[in-house]
Formats: sequence, C-alpha cells, structure tokens
Amino acid sequence: MKIEFTPEQLNLQREIRQYMKDIMTPELAQEMRNPEYFEGGGPEFRRLLKKMGSDGWIALSWPKKYGGREASPIEQYIFTDEVMRAGFPYPFLTTESVGPVLAEHGSEEIRKTVVQGILKGEVIIAVGYSEPSAGTDLASLTTKAEKTADGWLINGQKMWTSLANYADYVWLAARTDPDAAKPHKGLSMFLMPVDNPGFSLTPVHTLGVRTNATYYQDVQLPGSALVGELNNGWRMITGQLNRERLSLVNYGPIAALYEDTAQWAAQTLGGDGQPIINQPWVQANLAKVKIGAEALRLICLKQAWAMTGGNLAMADASAAKVYGSEFFVECYRMLLEIMGQAGALHRDSVGAILQGKLEMRYRVGSVLTFGGGANEVQRDIISAAGLWMPRSR
Amino acid sequence: MDFSYSQQQIDVKNLAVQILTDQTTQDRLRAVDEFEDKFDNKLWSDLAAAGLLAVAIDEQYGGSGFGFETLSLLFEELGRTVAPVPLVPILTTAYVLQKYASAELCQRYLPELAKGEAMITAALLEPANDNALTPKTIAHCNKGVWSVSGVKSAVPFAVTSKAILMPAKTDAGLAVLLLDPAADGVVVERQICTTGEPQYLLTMENAVAQLVAIDAAADLIMKALVEHMSAALCAMAIGLTDKMMRITASYTSERKQFGVPIATFQAVGHRAADCYIDIECLRLTAQQAISLLEQDSDAAEAVMIAKIWAGDVCHRVSQASQHLHGGVGIDRDYLLFRYCLWAKQIELNCGVSSALIQSLGETIAADFSTA
Repeated sequence: MKIEFTPEQLNLQREIRQYMKDIMTPELAQEMRNPEYFEGGGPEFRRLLKKMGSDGWIALSWPKKYGGREASPIEQYIFTDEVMRAGFPYPFLTTESVGPVLAEHGSEEIRKTVVQGILKGEVIIAVGYSEPSAGTDLASLTTKAEKTADGWLINGQKMWTSLANYADYVWLAARTDPDAAKPHKGLSMFLMPVDNPGFSLTPVHTLGVRTNATYYQDVQLPGSALVGELNNGWRMITGQLNRERLSLVNYGPIAALYEDTAQWAAQTLGGDGQPIINQPWVQANLAKVKIGAEALRLICLKQAWAMTGGNLAMADASAAKVYGSEFFVECYRMLLEIMGQAGALHRDSVGAILQGKLEMRYRVGSVLTFGGGANEVQRDIISAAGLWMPRSR
Repeated sequence: MDFSYSQQQIDVKNLAVQILTDQTTQDRLRAVDEFEDKFDNKLWSDLAAAGLLAVAIDEQYGGSGFGFETLSLLFEELGRTVAPVPLVPILTTAYVLQKYASAELCQRYLPELAKGEAMITAALLEPANDNALTPKTIAHCNKGVWSVSGVKSAVPFAVTSKAILMPAKTDAGLAVLLLDPAADGVVVERQICTTGEPQYLLTMENAVAQLVAIDAAADLIMKALVEHMSAALCAMAIGLTDKMMRITASYTSERKQFGVPIATFQAVGHRAADCYIDIECLRLTAQQAISLLEQDSDAAEAVMIAKIWAGDVCHRVSQASQHLHGGVGIDRDYLLFRYCLWAKQIELNCGVSSALIQSLGETIAADFSTA
C-alpha cells in the first residue's frame, strides 16, 4: 500500500495547477462577478474553454480515436481536482457525462459535429432530466416524445435545467412508451439544439446560482435526434454515473478554502491584538476541518484508484457522495465561524473576506446533499449493497 | 498510488483470520473470562507456532521481518475477533524496541518473544498524565546504575512481562528505560479495566532499571512508541467497528417487529449506513498513518488524524450497534458487549479525540503563523 501520488502524477498535478493559474484571468474573474456568468457562459469563459480544448485538456481521458490521451481515472481525478480548486466553471457534465454517451451512441453526424465541438471547447450541453414532479424519482418523468412521419414531437417541462441559458443543446430525457411495464423502461434520450422554435426558458434564481425552467411546446426534432435505441434511455442516464462521480465531491476546493481561511486567521489581528488563529476554538475548528478534509481526500483518491482498476463498489461510491456533500456543509460552517459576522458579507460588499467565497459556498452548499441522487437514496444503497440489509420496497 | 495489500500480506491476514476465528467461539471466550488473568495462553502459543507473533520481528531474531503494515493486519483481525491476547501492546513495543534499541537488547528479548515464551510491554500512562513524553516518574543514575521512582498506571500484562519499557524524566531530559517488574522496589497491583484486560498499577521506589536511551534519542523512541501504539489501536478499531456493524446488519435483518425485519425501516438502515461511512473514514486515515510509519515518513499528523477518527468512530458505531440491537445488545450472553467495551478502551487509550483536536489545532496554527 502506498497512498501518495507517483512522481509522474505529481508532475501532472503541478502542470495543471500552473496551467489553471493562467486560465483564471482577471477578465474572467471580472466576468464571473456578473451572476449571469457565475457558472460560465460569458465571452471570456468561452474563449478560455476553447483554449483548454485546443491545448488538449478536455480530451484528457477520452479515447485516442477522438484525439484523447486515454488518461486513467486517477489522472482525470487530478485534473478535475485542480480545475475545481482554481474555480473555473468547467462544464463537467458536458465533457464527462453527456459527451462520452454521444460518442458511443450518437449518429455519425453527432459524432462529427457535437462531440468534436465538445472536445474543442466550443459546444456546451445542458442536462434536461429533472421535472417539477420528477426529481430523485427520475423514472417518473412525464415529458413525452411522439413519433411523427419524419421525426419526433416533444411536449413537456423541465426544471433545474442549469446552463440552458447559454448552452448549445439540451440533452433531453422523454417518455416514448407510456405503456411500458416499468416506468424507467419507456424512456429515450434526445439531443435538441436550443434554437428550436418550440423551446423556451425562464430563469430560476436560487439561493446560490441562476438556473432555469425549460419548456418544450411542440418541439419538432428529426429522427437522428434520438440517441441510442428507442426506450433505452435509462441506461444512458445511469451509464456514465461513474465518470460523473469524479467531479461530484472533490478535495481541491475545500483544501483551498481551508488554507485561505487559516492564512487569513494567522494574518488578521482580533480585538486583543493577537492573531485570530491564536484562539483555541479557532484552532479546534481548523483541526476539525483538516480531519474531515483528509478523510475526503483519501476517499476521493481511493475512488479514482478503484475506478482505474475497474472495481468501484456501489456502496463505496454512495458513501463518498454522502460523506463529501455533508462534510462540505459542516466545513463551510466551521470556516465561516472563524470569520464571524464578516463571513456573511457578500463578495460585492466592502469588507468582504476572501472575496466572499465562503458566503457564496454556504449558499450553494445544500444543493449537493439532495442533488446527484438524494443522500437518503444513497444511504439506502449503502445499507442494501454494502451491508446486505433488506429493503422495504 | 496503490490501496491494495501484497499477496504476502494477504497470506498473513488469512492465517490470522483462521486461527483467531477458530479460537474465539463464544464458549471459548466465556471460558477465558473465568481465568484469573483473562488471557488465552493456548491461543498465544498457537499464534507463536504459526509465526504470527514474529511477523514483524527481524529474521536474525527468529521472525519474518515483514514490517508494521503487515502487523497492522494482524491487529485488525484481533479487533474483529476480540481475542483475549495482548497482541497490540506486546508486539508494538517489540517492534519499536527492535527499531531503536541496541542489538544486544533486542537479542535479549526478541527471540523468546518470537517463540511466545516471553513478553515485553510498555508503561505509557501515569495517574492523571496520559502524555508519555512528559512523565512524572523520575530516573537517576548512581555510579552507572539507573533506577526509577514514580507511578505508572494501566500497564497491560505487567506481571507476565519480562521487561517494561517506560519513559522517565532526568536532569538531562527524557529517559527511556526497561524495568523488570520483579525488581526490588516495584509494587505491582492489579487494576480492573472495563474490558477485563489485565492491567496493573506500578509503584516504583528506587527500582533498578536498564537505560535504553536518553535525551533526544529517548524523545525519538517515545514519540515512535506512541505513534505506533496509536496506529496499532486504529488498526484494531477497523476490525472491531467493522465487525460490530456487520453483527448489527445481520441482527436487524433477522429481528422482526410490526411483522417486518427492522432493517427495512429506513431509520435503521440509514443509521447502519452512517456506520459504514464512518468506518471507511477510519479505515482510510488509519491506512495512511500506517503506510507512512511503514515507510519511515513523518506520520505525526496522520496518526493524530487517524486516532481522532478511531475515537469518534468507536464511540458512534458502538452506540449505534447497541441501540439498533435493543436489549439483546447489552446482554452479556450475546457477543456484542465485548466489542462495545473494547471500543471504549481504544477510544480512551493513547490520546482522546478532544485532546488530539487541540494538539492538531496548535500544529496547524504554528504552520500558518510561520508561513
């Protein structure tokens, strides 16, 4: 057993960390101050994403036939961790989740245009899974696609369609067989360009970021918009969960927040004229964050290592998701306590600490405990798959 | 980066599983409970005969020389079976002695230990003083002969050991000495510990002892002993808590209330799932600490983190297991209670979570203050 990175892996980490420093231009920072562009979509973001594409980073773990480097999950994890640590709004769902499915199941045309576009950093895809009445129970979705003479007619509504306001396509799950024996057997996947006249959206302003409600009214799509086999959509939704997981809970951003907060506490004097970090309770909070973050780091590394060997256990993947998402929430709290009242200052406020990063993080922090598969469902998976405990349904 | 064990290590683990599982039936454990010293001598001899007491002892002293990581797998299985044998204190003390003491001292104790014919233990604790680096016990030297005066508490297997490794303070800094518990000036009193493990209070009055190291060299040995002992307890805690969780998962899958197995209630399943996550955190932080010790890298912080997890996870998994069992969990006719008692002993031994959080916090503050 040797848990440290190899020298090659450390070199890769250093290389990406330096690269991402250059990617995080002052212009991008300025652009991201606009809430509309906080999750990307601005011109500077587009320019930088194309640069990452032409520098070969987007294709890092893609097969050689797509111009990729076939990096292992460990190397992909190193990349993901550094990108997230830097704070770049990288479209992981496009590059790691939808992209690979399109490459495997898409038509020749989709492979040539959309997949190549993704790898060049020119195409971004929003995910249209959730609906007002279909969240964790995704298989109950009601958006329907009907066969027409020359293609498909789609009607329905999606919720939390993040990035749809600047994406090029929506990756859309729709019901194609309303009479299927089980709800998840009657679903199919479609790729819809956002310039379709039947498509519209309204913004949804959340506690943290902007997302969208999207509407599909008599959306007409050609036959080639169906990706993969008819009624086989569920497999495509769940098939890429593994690669997705590498970007779900990460150590990098937490490590950066911890280091920045500790540094701030060491350099800032409190009312007693002493550095804030001299307070025993501040030290205890930092220690607790460190203890939790170290476990998170090891969980992430083991997950990437297990995926590299092709033996990631289902219960362990769920354990990583639950632990990471719940630790984030605790971690933000403990670090914010150190800043005290000033921790609540927004990044646009005079007197904000660390560019208001923690004020922002705590607002978005709750999303991950229910998003990406609610933690209750993950715990069901752990007790069933990890401990062989019977389930009630 | 590699989270797997070598085939050699897996072989050692499997051998340990076989012997420890065979000899820890409920009947056998109950029989040993009735022994005066609560020690399974036959199991100890069998472990010696199988070479397991000597896995980490160098070949020149009759062992296999496999290292601390392999030894930790033995400790994990010990935790899983709660076998009444002192593998953690005896083998960890021997391992550290071998690493730092003279060849002459090693030759005196290790070959016998490898054969299961002698023990050496460590006295790390004193009344109201859990820090082995700041002992109240005093050592002094008179005409080349060292002696110690003071009190040591909770010394495991003190009377069955040939020698006891202990820290003491001198005018020239810390000293590490080996004491024969039968020496003049030593009074040994049996203590009744929560797990039943034989522990002793040692009161020493000018008792002659052998010096192992002094000053910086003594600091080094004591620091290593505490780190290895903590990591050994963490390894034991992995097996202990994992077994507790699995006993609980099986029990709740069988136990019916309201006409259904109680495991089908989400409240039950989720509490077990939280144990699963906790134990994974303990396992990984412990493996990291052990791996760093094995490679002779600086493991101070990693050991603290692992021991904090061990203390917290022992407490939480023990409580969850007892609670989910209901009355059966507290019945001494059922196997769970032994695990719960050991969980508390591991939690309180070699540094408690709250104290370690404070130490870790001080380390962090020092790092960032100089940065």
